Parts: sequence; C-alpha cells; structure tokens
Amino acid sequence: MDLFIQQEMLSLIDMSIKIGKVLFKNPIITASGTFGYGTEVSSLVDVSKFGGIVTKSITLNPREGNPPPRIVETPSGMLNSIGLANIGVDQYLSKKIPLYSTIGTNIIMNIAGTTISEYIEIINKVESFSSDIVGYEINISCPNVKRGGMEFGIDCDLTEKLTESLRKITERLLIVKLSPNVTNIASIAQSAEKAGADAVSAINTVVGMSIDIHKQKSKVYTKLSGLSGPAIRPIGIASVHKIFQAIDIPIIGIGGITCGNDVLEYILAGASAVQAGTSNYRDPGIALSMIEEIKLYGEKYNISSISDLVGVVSSNTK
Amino acid sequence: MKTEDVIIINNNEIASEIWEMEFLAPKISSNYKGAGQFIQIQLDPGWGNPLRRPMSIASCRDSKISIIYKIFGQGTKILSQKISGDVLNVLGPLGNSFQYKKTSLNILVGGGVGLAPIINLWEELDELRDNSYLIIGAKAKNEHIHSHNPDEHIYLTTDDGSMGLPGTVMEALKLVYENAKSSQVFACGPEPMLKQIQSFVIKNRIPAQLSVESYMGCGVGICQGCIISRRNHKNKNHSYHEKYSLVCVDGPIYSAGDVIFD
Repeated sequence: MDLFIQQEMLSLIDMSIKIGKVLFKNPIITASGTFGYGTEVSSLVDVSKFGGIVTKSITLNPREGNPPPRIVETPSGMLNSIGLANIGVDQYLSKKIPLYSTIGTNIIMNIAGTTISEYIEIINKVESFSSDIVGYEINISCPNVKRGGMEFGIDCDLTEKLTESLRKITERLLIVKLSPNVTNIASIAQSAEKAGADAVSAINTVVGMSIDIHKQKSKVYTKLSGLSGPAIRPIGIASVHKIFQAIDIPIIGIGGITCGNDVLEYILAGASAVQAGTSNYRDPGIALSMIEEIKLYGEKYNISSISDLVGVVSSNTK
Repeated sequence: MKTEDVIIINNNEIASEIWEMEFLAPKISSNYKGAGQFIQIQLDPGWGNPLRRPMSIASCRDSKISIIYKIFGQGTKILSQKISGDVLNVLGPLGNSFQYKKTSLNILVGGGVGLAPIINLWEELDELRDNSYLIIGAKAKNEHIHSHNPDEHIYLTTDDGSMGLPGTVMEALKLVYENAKSSQVFACGPEPMLKQIQSFVIKNRIPAQLSVESYMGCGVGICQGCIISRRNHKNKNHSYHEKYSLVCVDGPIYSAGDVIFD
C-alpha cells in the first residue's frame, strides 16, 4: 500500500510555477486578445483551472477598433487586425474587474498606449483601485495600430524607458510583451530586464498580409496585419531560445500553441510559462486538455516538477 | 463546452454546387432555440485550417441537424468530401434566432447560400403557411431545390429566367408585398441582396429581420473578428461598444434598421 502511494506521488508532476512573486497553478495562460476580458466564456469553460488569463489590451480611452474585415484564415494560421478594440480603462475598472472576484485564476491586465504618459496613467488608475489582478502585461508590440504599440517594441531605449517608468509605479507583476518584428529580439528583452521587468512574453504576432486575387484587394482591411497560429510556432520557439540565452528573468512563450507537446517545446526552449492564443478560437477550453497532456508526459518521463524542464534544450548551448 | 462529436448521416449535392449535410447531434439539438442560429464546424482535427466554419442551421429535429452549403473555398471543399459515418466536432448552437408573431404575415426571402436559415424558418412556420410567403433567388434553374408554386406561396426567381420569375428576389418581394401589406420580412443572402432588401423595407416601413454574414473566428465573442457596423451608434445594448456589433454573439439576426452594410 505504501509503495502504491509512493508511486502515485512520484507520478504527479508539480505543475505550479512562479513568475516574480506570483504563483501560477500551472504554466498555461491564455494570450491577450484571444480570450476577451476573461469573462465571456465562463459558462462554457471552467477557467479556474487555467494558470491564468491575460486580458485583451486595455487603453486609456475606449477604442472602436478597425473596420472589417478584421480576420482571415491562412495556412495553419490566421491574420488579425482588430485594432485594440476595447472599452477603455475606466469602464474596465467599473465593469470587468468586479467580475474577477470569483474567477479563481490569475488575471493579468494587458495595457497598450501611444505615449509613456498614457501607459503610466492607465496603471495609476488601476493601482488606485482595489482589484484582484496579479499584474500587467505591457503591449509594446501591436502591429495593427497607427500610433504607439510597436514603435516602443522595436527600440531598446524606448523599451527601457517605458519599463523603468512603469516599474516605479507598481509592485505588481510587470511583463513586457515582445515583438518578433525586430532585428534582435534578445536585445529588447535585455532592455526590459535591465529596467526592472519581472518577465518578458514572446512573441506577439508576426506582420503578415494576404490578398484576394479576384477582388485585387487585401483580405484584411488594414492590409498589414498580425499572423498567429501554428504557422508561427517555430518562430516563437526560436525567439524564446534566443531570449533565454540573453536574460535571467522568466520568459512566457507564445505562438501557435495547440497542445501539451507544444507547451513542452516552449518550456524546453526556455519558457517558464506559455500563453495559448489562436487555439482558443477553435476551443476555448483547449488549455484544459494541454494541462492533462503535460501531466501524462510528466508521468511517462517521471518528472517531479515542470520547472525542472525550463530551458533544458537551450541551456545546452549556453 | 458546447462542443459535440457529431456523426454524419448524409452529405449530398442537392442542386448545382449546393450541398446538404445531415448529422446526428443530440446535445446541440437539445439546446437549439430556433431558425437563425448557427453552428461552428471544425473541418479537421489537424491544424492546417485552425478556424471553425460557421454554418447556419437548416433544420433541427429528432436529434438531427442539417446544414446547406455551397463550395466556395478549401473549407467547404473539405466538408463536401465527408461521407456518412464520418465524425465532425461541432460547437453550438450559437447566436440568436428569428422572432415572429403568430398573427402577422410573413415574407421569407433567401438568396444564394442564404438559403439555410430561411428554409429552416419556413419549416418552423409550418402551421402559419397560409400567412407566409417564401421567396428564393438563384442564378439559374439548376441552383434551385424547390419548385416555383405561387399557389403554395412559394416564389422562385432566376437571374437568367430559366425558372420562376425572371430577375432577382427584389422583383418577387415587390410583387408579394403588394398582396401582403402589413407583413414582416425575414431575409438572408449575399450582402448586395440584403442591402437592397434593407432599403426597400426601410422605405416602406416594413418590420424586417436580416441574417447577416461576417468572416468569423471563434463564434463565442472572444476574438472580436466578426463585426458589423451599427446604424444607431448610441445603442449600448450590445456586447461591445457603440460603433460595431459582434455578429456571433449579438447576431446573426438583426432588425433591418440596426445595421449598415459598408
């Protein structure tokens, strides 16, 4: 009997991970913009089992977003150009944050701005409000808006300056979300680390475009848009691998994650946690099946803690 | 989750390039609210096509659901290759449904692939047939699955005049409306058709509900992809904010006066 219990215990992989001071029950988080405000599908899916939820980007003022068409499927992926449509920080605080008191998982608020002072103003508003959110993910990498967004994400100095300013006003978890549309993603990650970020998340969407040859028009209104889905997974994994060699703070891997095996690829490349995005559109409960698949992997290879796997492959080349 | 692995019973071409698929879906059927609702079909367990395909429900009875589709692209081609006994993962039922009064006259207008919810509503109005009219438009005779039969209140139109009334559904709508004033219009079809119906019903102050289409991602309100412009930007009674509405959760059925076709 004792032996049986011992075996049972051995086979249970510890799924919890820590980023900054925050404990996550497992490493699977839903990515910004792919899970609304976190409350839309709670009648369909038990989100309390998720490691966490990152909200869609919240801006200082409400944004209508871009005209249609906003999305189109592409081979093993999709292009989107939503344009940061959201209700704005004031309505977010009054209407959405109260809904989180019973949600049972870590909520990370994603924020986007066009100037440093806008990012500061948003965080100041949230900090002066009582809420259960565990931290912020800073969107410096949105390819689909005219001003702001990516111009921070492609510049080391601006990334550092922005992160530094935000670090001063919050003790909550501060995650900087990086763009793959840069020459050297690792150097941007270093700037975020230097300025006091608790973690970086990578990658945001890859700039893409698709054309309807019969209408001789772009399939997405804004012409350029963001590519996501399994098509970009190898880019995401390579980015995490490069960043892992360059910084010591945790990395949250993003890009084309559809199953437990994909999560493990990211973790072995150096991610401490991951965010699932496009796959939520097929199945908003897909994170739950990923968790089960990782538990099976843990049993098969007798792994005691998911953290033991972080960067195993990338460390070899460090 | 509202997903179900459904078993295909039939999948046949019922008119030129128009297919009907019927499958066993007890779980989805039990939550079905009425004509106008749709489902999201996963084409394949692989990830070559990550997004599900939205399909309007053409009928729902005895735990069976059917859809009607036209082969447009790769996705609908994959669907057409499925055979009886194949299993598909389906999410649904989703969206709202047509709302009608038992006392009013009903004119139903369908065109092209906008057939499915209109035929569904026609079946739903079975007991009210004396007060209801069905108008279906197509390019030519070989795209029609009904017979032109004004005695039964069924009016077909063809662009090339090969069957029923020559011209578009607008000709039939004007004709039927002359004899059925104080009616309510229900329509689904290509955007240019909906646009014409919209201006006709607004001009004549006819209450109307339109089933609209939009390129859709998730179907449950989280991707914000499937938007349509609202006419009344001040209307806050919808899931998002003022300018756009999300077709998947606010629609797909809208009052004709509420939306703008850009």
